[in-house]
Amino acid sequence: MSFDIRPVASSLLRNRTGAVLVAFQIAIALAVLVNAVFIVHQRIEKMNRPTLIDDQNLFGIGVAEFTDRFNYDASVHEDLAYLRGIPGVVSASVTNSVPLGISGSATNVWTQPDSKGNRVQINYFSMDEQGLNTLGVRLLAGRNFRASEILPPVSASDYTKFVPQLIVTRSVAEQLFPHQNALGKTVYTSLGQPATLIGIIDNMIGTGWVGYEALDHVAIMPQLPRLYGFEYIVRTEPGRRNAIMRAVEEHLSTSNPNRVVKWVRSVEYFKNLLYRDDRNMQVFLITVTVLLLGIASLGIFGLATFNVSARTKQIGTRRAVGARRSDIVRYFMVENALITTTGIVVGCALALAIGYWLSLQYQLPRLDLYYLVGGVLALWMIGQLAAWQPARRASAISPSVATRTV
Amino acid sequence: MYSYYLRLALKSFRRTPGLTALMVGAIALGIAVCIMTMTVYHAMSGNPIWWKNDRLYAVTMDNWNPNQPEDPQHPDLPPPQLTFKDATYLLGSNIPERKVVMYARQSVLTGGVAERKPVPVTTRVTTGDFFAMFDVPFKYGSAWSASADQGATPVIVLNKEQNDKLFGGANSVGRTIRWDDREFRIVGVLDTWSPTPRFYDLNNGAFSEPDDVYIPLGWTRTLGQYPNGGNTNCWRPETVNTFADFLESDCVWVQMWVELPDKASRERMQALLEGYWAEQHKAGRFPRPRNNRLTDVGQWLKDRGVVQNDNRMLVGIAFAFLAVCLLNTVGILLAKFLNGAAIAGVRRALGASRRQIFIQHLIEVGVLATVSAVLGLALGALGLLGVHSLYVTNDVVDAVTNAQGGYQQLTHFDTVSVLWALMLAMVSALAAGLYPAWRIGRVSPAVYLKSQ
Amino acid sequence: MLKMQNVGKVYRTDLIETHALRDFSLEVAAGEFVAVTGPSGSGKTTFLNVTGLLETFETGQYLLDGSDVSRLSDDARSRLRNEKIGFIFQSFNLIPDLNIYDNVDVPLRYRRLKATDRHERISSALELVGLASRVKHMPSQLSGGQQQRVAIARAIAGDPAFLLADEPTGNLDSLMARQVMDLLEQINEMGTTIVLVTHDPELARRAHRNVHVVDGQISDLKMYESRAVGGAQTLGAARA
Repeated sequence: MSFDIRPVASSLLRNRTGAVLVAFQIAIALAVLVNAVFIVHQRIEKMNRPTLIDDQNLFGIGVAEFTDRFNYDASVHEDLAYLRGIPGVVSASVTNSVPLGISGSATNVWTQPDSKGNRVQINYFSMDEQGLNTLGVRLLAGRNFRASEILPPVSASDYTKFVPQLIVTRSVAEQLFPHQNALGKTVYTSLGQPATLIGIIDNMIGTGWVGYEALDHVAIMPQLPRLYGFEYIVRTEPGRRNAIMRAVEEHLSTSNPNRVVKWVRSVEYFKNLLYRDDRNMQVFLITVTVLLLGIASLGIFGLATFNVSARTKQIGTRRAVGARRSDIVRYFMVENALITTTGIVVGCALALAIGYWLSLQYQLPRLDLYYLVGGVLALWMIGQLAAWQPARRASAISPSVATRTV
Repeated sequence: MYSYYLRLALKSFRRTPGLTALMVGAIALGIAVCIMTMTVYHAMSGNPIWWKNDRLYAVTMDNWNPNQPEDPQHPDLPPPQLTFKDATYLLGSNIPERKVVMYARQSVLTGGVAERKPVPVTTRVTTGDFFAMFDVPFKYGSAWSASADQGATPVIVLNKEQNDKLFGGANSVGRTIRWDDREFRIVGVLDTWSPTPRFYDLNNGAFSEPDDVYIPLGWTRTLGQYPNGGNTNCWRPETVNTFADFLESDCVWVQMWVELPDKASRERMQALLEGYWAEQHKAGRFPRPRNNRLTDVGQWLKDRGVVQNDNRMLVGIAFAFLAVCLLNTVGILLAKFLNGAAIAGVRRALGASRRQIFIQHLIEVGVLATVSAVLGLALGALGLLGVHSLYVTNDVVDAVTNAQGGYQQLTHFDTVSVLWALMLAMVSALAAGLYPAWRIGRVSPAVYLKSQ
Repeated sequence: MLKMQNVGKVYRTDLIETHALRDFSLEVAAGEFVAVTGPSGSGKTTFLNVTGLLETFETGQYLLDGSDVSRLSDDARSRLRNEKIGFIFQSFNLIPDLNIYDNVDVPLRYRRLKATDRHERISSALELVGLASRVKHMPSQLSGGQQQRVAIARAIAGDPAFLLADEPTGNLDSLMARQVMDLLEQINEMGTTIVLVTHDPELARRAHRNVHVVDGQISDLKMYESRAVGGAQTLGAARA
């Protein structure tokens, strides 16, 4: 039976333009399918990365002072008291920015003064002693800040002063002091100011929007924020977030004439915003890939149909000299298989080449061979399926076609 | 003769309606996808002020830590902003035709219908040249005069959206409004303006909307408040006890752009930068290697990495898709034309030349191309509306989440892009049909007449 | 060898019912050379299709080399065609994309013979028709007469019970026609039964026996002879 391939192949080679075109379509389809699935999978993994904070139950409140009569200490005290007193609220704190949000602050710290030693850019959150509890991030080692350790906001007169203590994520600790116990160690700013690491937390994700070096290089600072704006962050019990958000917006909008509420938004909202481009990319990739496969299979189907109709006389003759219906089907399926296989082989090379180029250009990991195998199987199946119906139709051609002289 | 060919073409389409629909549909789809991704790519990375690309320049000097560059991932670039001190000095030069020094703030407006409830807004604190330099259109009034830049003149320009919100879109020039609880007089209201990307200030993301209101730079000292709307980066250990100290410090937080009409003024500006740098360097400032730049908008966008990788990938995939659609069409046309070879052979026997057969089939391809092109354009426009909806959320009143506003540009389909899209469609569809038409033209009549 | 009794075939469309074969009875003995003649529309082609198992029939009985073909499945009929019948068509029906060797090979492939066996048969068949040297050529490179001889080689390569030839010289000039007929006679002399369907009386004369078909039925031989004498015009008209 395998020797049947030779005459099919030689006949195909003599009429190869159509076949070559289809083979190229299959090749491109395979290359696109493999890389698209790879990228989509990457994005899904990225989006599913655990934030390690209680992101489903957190929301932020953006506020702004705007008159000279604004009293920071009294306002913040009053607002936090109100927020913490709401039934259903687990904890509330004040912060310079909301995690996963659009704005954030960062600075560099070194293990030695004079900007020497290991360096990490930390995305920092200036919060009070309830900060950790509000975020819901796990403390792995050390301790939280005490209320007495929270510094008042930076003012004009001590603008460049740094905090004396920091809580950092494990990722920061490992980067600064690899294979050591970072607890209790000191880090320095570019101006040589020291800060002791008193606590290590889980690798929570900080501000995602800005192009900081690493998402989980996060630090918590024991200082009230003000200079570049401040926000409140509230953690509720599960299921109560939205109702509490509405109540809070209503109350805070009018409770202080010297302070305006800019927005009340859930962290989930910011998270969706953060991953919006990835989601859209997925939608686009999946849509285009599906369309591509559709067009390619229609191409295979079309070519097979045309081959059948162009070879009607030939098919009738074959039937006349003894081919069974299944022989005719097999002929076209074999011919189609040859075309599909050629396309797949070229497509594999193309897929790997594109995957390699993408990994270089965009710092992506290299294409995993599983995707290639999956793509090959998928395209093989699609190729055979698309040719099935024309092959069946060919087998229905009556042998009496051979004796017609039209 | 051509109307005859046209009739033949239409007959040919009717003979195989399914395949004709498949060809037209496939090409249209491929073109639509390409149009969509190209428009998005263009909108996201194109130069929104391309007509002034040889006149507008960002001014940057490398004022940073001698031990490491400001951006370790791009070590050859100076920081994108200047210190207040340096910018103010350079502002005094009369070399540029226009110049602007500016930064952004978060503030609160009270006035108009927001008499009771204050509205949070973003403010651009800038010199008055901003508007003429960036070709910002005015709906009412105009920018403030040069003298207003000198001090804390209480004049303000609103953008169209704020004017719509606070004054119902009426001409509010001359009226007063309270900005951060100070009284300002409205001198101008902008028309719709949303350059994408927002090249002149990339601090809040390249696709954030322009600011809501504008006040003169001269307010900086009077306000005495730290710039809370942009990016402030400090590197030098220095004593900063007052706001005045801050203004004299080596912290970079203002943007500076100049308009230089010709090569000569560019050279003079560069010379000014170098001279100033040398003088300051001798006095102990600017410890890093000399790196003073005048960067045009196109290069600026490249330097600052505004073009997103995702968009490039999408364009690549779109063209791969178009390629498959075209290959598909070539295959179908080839099969279809050669299947009708007997008829072509008869025509040739009856006197048609090769060229005439070729043209007859090319006309058929041309009709196919035109229909697919138009359909592709329509589908592409529809698709862009869909893309737009993926980016825009329902709320509009949100100063902080303004970041998605700039995507308005995506449904912007100007004449140039329409023409370009049509050209792409026609050329690609014609290219697909060229080979099959050529093949059928070369058919020798005898072969096909003789055989079964 | 071949026995048809009261075979009837009806073509039905929405509006018309055509009785292409009516009460058709024919017997062909092994080794015979029979010509089936008749004007166009007489049912020759239908006879051809039915005899060659290319179409089914409604009434009657058809025994081919002892087997009753009436109730056979499509697969079984295909097999019978493959093993028992050698076709020769008016328009040769060679497969244009295959060379001569592969063309003759086609029916043998469906018989699942071993490669050496096939090679032997193809070689001897091409020898017989005098085209062994053209093995690698394509059909388009051969003249009409040569193509038909290849078709004959294809028909005899499988050692069929009989050859069924449909107007085998219809597309050939007189010289090539004579060559082909000589070849057929030669094959018949070697023992193969031949049923030749034609409207050309010259060709029919070369057969042992003539059968005349008119309106789906075998007509009187006598009538045929008298017509031939009566008017060449009539025959000419019938032929046209």
